[in-house]
Amino acid sequence: MALQGPEELGEQVEEPEDQDASGISPAEEITLPPGPGGDEEPGQTLLLPWDRFSTWLHCICVVGFDLELGQAVEVIYPHHSKLSEKEKTSICYLSFPDSNSGCLGDTQFCFRFRQGSNRKSSLSCFLETTDRDAPPCLKREQGHYYGYVYFRQVRDKSLKRGYFQKSLVLISKLPYVTFFHSLLKIMAPEYFEKQEPCLEAACNDIDRWPTPHPGRILTLPIMGVVIKVRIPTCYDKPGASQLVQSSQSDSLVSIVLPTIHEVDLFRCFSPVFFHIQMLWELVLLGEALVVMAPSPAESSDTVLALVSCISPLRYCSDFRPYFTIHDSEFKEYTTRTQAPPSVILGVTNPFFAKTLQHWPHIIRNGDMKQAGEMAKQMKVKKLKNLKTLDSKPGVYTAYKPYLNKDEEIIKQLQKGVQQKRPSAAQNAILRRYFLELTQSFIIPLERYVASLMPLQKSISPWKSPPQLRPFIQQDFMKTLEKAGPQLTSRLKGDWIGLYRNFLKSPNFDGWFRNRRREMTQKLEALHLEALCEEDLQVRVQKHTEVETVDLVLKLKDKLDQAEREQLPVRPGTLNKLKAHIDAVILALPEDLQGILHKPATP
Amino acid sequence: MSVRVSGLSVLPPVRRDRIIVQLPKYFRREAAVHTKDEFNNKVKTACQEQRTGTVGFKISKVIVVGDLAVGKTCLINRFCKDAFDKNYKATIGVDFEMERFEVLGVPFSLQLWDTAGQERFKCIASTYYRGAQVVIIAFDVNDVTSLGHVRQWLEDALRENDPTAVQLFLVGTKKDLSSPAQYSQIERDALELAQEISAEYWAVSSLTGENVNEFFFRVASIAFETNVLAELEKSGTRQIGEVVRISSTSNSLNATSKKKGPNCCQ
Repeated sequence: MALQGPEELGEQVEEPEDQDASGISPAEEITLPPGPGGDEEPGQTLLLPWDRFSTWLHCICVVGFDLELGQAVEVIYPHHSKLSEKEKTSICYLSFPDSNSGCLGDTQFCFRFRQGSNRKSSLSCFLETTDRDAPPCLKREQGHYYGYVYFRQVRDKSLKRGYFQKSLVLISKLPYVTFFHSLLKIMAPEYFEKQEPCLEAACNDIDRWPTPHPGRILTLPIMGVVIKVRIPTCYDKPGASQLVQSSQSDSLVSIVLPTIHEVDLFRCFSPVFFHIQMLWELVLLGEALVVMAPSPAESSDTVLALVSCISPLRYCSDFRPYFTIHDSEFKEYTTRTQAPPSVILGVTNPFFAKTLQHWPHIIRNGDMKQAGEMAKQMKVKKLKNLKTLDSKPGVYTAYKPYLNKDEEIIKQLQKGVQQKRPSAAQNAILRRYFLELTQSFIIPLERYVASLMPLQKSISPWKSPPQLRPFIQQDFMKTLEKAGPQLTSRLKGDWIGLYRNFLKSPNFDGWFRNRRREMTQKLEALHLEALCEEDLQVRVQKHTEVETVDLVLKLKDKLDQAEREQLPVRPGTLNKLKAHIDAVILALPEDLQGILHKPATP
Repeated sequence: MSVRVSGLSVLPPVRRDRIIVQLPKYFRREAAVHTKDEFNNKVKTACQEQRTGTVGFKISKVIVVGDLAVGKTCLINRFCKDAFDKNYKATIGVDFEMERFEVLGVPFSLQLWDTAGQERFKCIASTYYRGAQVVIIAFDVNDVTSLGHVRQWLEDALRENDPTAVQLFLVGTKKDLSSPAQYSQIERDALELAQEISAEYWAVSSLTGENVNEFFFRVASIAFETNVLAELEKSGTRQIGEVVRISSTSNSLNATSKKKGPNCCQ
C-alpha cells in the first residue's frame, strides 16, 4: 500500500475520477483508443487502464526526510502499486546521497536493486514479445529494478532540519537511463512546485503512451511536451545513431532523444582515461570492480559506462550504479571470508574505502572533468596506496592486461582535447573504439559457435530435431590460429589468455546460453518447416489409427511451441501446419474428429 | 523537426482526408484571424519551391481550454476519432492527440493538448500551456457562464506564452442543443467577445459533427501559415532569398509583422 501524508488522504475523498478508474473491473476489457503513435498492433488495443503505464514503469515514489524516521517513502503512485517493505527500505536509502559532498541543488542519478518478491505481471507474456527485438543490453531486467532519482536539496529555514530534501524516483525494469533522466528533468521540477496533481497528471500521460516497442518511433506526451524516441532493435547496425532533431524551433514542444540509454563514455572515463583498455578487459572478464566517486551521479554514470563498454555483449553479473552500506546485499558483497564476487559497485560513502580495501580493482573517480581537461596520471596505482576516499583519482589494481596498450586511441583522443573537439564527438570515437574491440573479440566465438550447428541435411521431419554439438574449449582455441581477432584488430598481446579467462566468466555463460537458445529455436524452426513440406496424407495412410492420433497430438504440440516461443519460421509455415493438422484429422473417423478438433477451434 | 531512421519508413502517409490544398474559409467574417481567400503567397511559394527542403516537417502545439464539461474532449474525439461518447468522463490532468496533416504538400502535425477543466488541476495547467502556438477556448453555447469565464481562461493560457505569437480561437460547443433563437442571442455576445480578444469565432456540434472538421482544418491551416511565415522571417535571405524577393511585392506582409491578426486593422 502507498504511504500517504494526511493532506493527501483528505484530497482523495474528493477525487471522483479515481473512483471512475477503480470502477472498471479488471476482468472487463475496455478498448482504449490507439495511442499517440497511431500505428500500433491490434493486440495493443486490449490493454487495461494502467497497463500502458506498467510497460514503462513499476511505480513512482516520493522519498522525503522525516526527522524521526529518517528517509521515508511518502507517496507511491499509482496508489495500487505494490512494493514490499524490504523494497521500500532499499528505495529509501538508495534515493538519497550518502556522501560527504553536499549535493546542494538538484542531482540526478540511478540505482539498481534486487526485486524482493516474485511478482508476475499479467502483462508478462505481452512484454516478452515486445522485448524479443530489443538488443541484449536493453532487455527488461528479470530480477532487478532500476531506480531513477531526481534529488533536490535546498536550504529552507522554515523546516526544522534547515533543508528541503526530497527525491522523485521512477522505478522501472527498463534500462533506459538517458530517457528516464530526461523524463525526470521534465517531471520533477514541476512536481516539487505543484505536488500531487502533477504526479497524477504525469501518470495519466504515461498511461496513454504507446508501449516501449523496439524499432518504432514513439511519440510520448508528458507535461505539455512531446518526447520522441526510438528504442533500438537487435537488428540495427551497431553504432548508428537513430533519431536526429533538425529544427530548433520545435524544441519547445518536442524533444527528440538521440539515445535512450547511452551515457557519455568520454566524460565518465576522463579521470582514468589512460586505462580504458584495461577497464574493458576487467569488465569483459567479470572481475570484481568498485567505483569510488564523490557523488551518486558520478558513481552511477561511471558504473553504467563500464557496463556498456562491452556492448553489444550483455554484462551478465550484478552491478549497482549506486550502492550504500544500508543495502540488503551489503554483507553478501563485502564479506572477507570469500573472494570478492563478480560485481561492479558504485559507492560514495568513505566507509567503503576501508570495507572494500581487499577488492582487487578499484576505480577512484575524482570530480569529473569538463571536456577539455584530462587526467595526466599515467601509472596504475598499487592497491596498498588506497587508504581513504581522498586518495588521488586513478585505477588501483595489480591486474596485468592481456592485450598490449593501444596508443593510437589515446593519441587520437588527446588530440581531440587539444583541438577542443566537441565532447559528443570524443564520446562517439570512444564508443566506436570499444565496439570494434568487442566485435573483434566476439567474432571468432560467433564463428565457432555457428559451426556447432548440425548440417541441414541431418534434419529429418520424422526424427526429433538434431542436437547442437557441444562447445569444446580446445577446438575453439584451435580456430584462433587462423581466424582469431588478428583478422579485425591490430592489437597484439595474449588474446588466448584473454579468451581462456573469458570462457570462465559469467559474461561468456550468459552469452552462450542466449546463443544456444537462439540456435536451438532455429533448429526447431527448420524441423518444423521440413515437417510442413512432407506429404502427411500419404504417410498417414500407411499407419494405424493410433499412430495417426499420436501424430496429430505431436503436431499440435509443435504448433503450440512455435506460437509460444515465436520460433523464427518462414512466414506461412504455421498456417501450413494448421492445414496439415486439419487435413489429417479429417481423414480420421468422425467420432475421433470431434475429439481432436475441439481444442483447435476457438 | 525531421526524423531519420536507417532503412525504415518512419511514418505512414497522411490520411487522404487530412490533405489541405486550399485555405479553408473562416466561420464569421466579423471574427476571423484573417479574411483572405487563399494562403499567403510567400507561404505558397515556399512550399512549392522547397517541397522537400528547408520547409521540412512542422509541428504546432494546440491547447484546448475552457470550463468543466463544455465538451473539450468530445470536440477532439469527434475530429481525431470521428467518435462521440455521450457519457461524461472528466479528463485527468491532460489528454493528448497528435493529428497529422499535409498542407500545400508539406507534412504538418498538430499536437492537441486537451486540458482538464477541473479546479484541482488548475495548478498544473500552466505546465501544459507552455509553448502553445494555438489556444482554443471552448464554451457551451447553452451556458452563458462558460462564456463569461473565457477571459479568465485566456489570461491563464497567455501567462505562459508570448501573446503576440499565439493564434486564438473561441469555439461555442453543443450547438445542437440550442434553438436558433437562443443561439443567435449568445452568438452576438460571443462575436463581440471574440473581436475584443482578437479570436476567431466558431460554433460547432461534436454530437452531429457540424463544423468540427471545418474548424480543425482552419486551425491547422492558420497554424501552418503562421509557422511557415515565422520560419521564413527567421531564416531571412540565407535560405529563401528568392522567395522573399518575389513576395515582397505582395500585400500580405502584415501577416508576419502583425501577428495579432487583422482584426485590429478592420
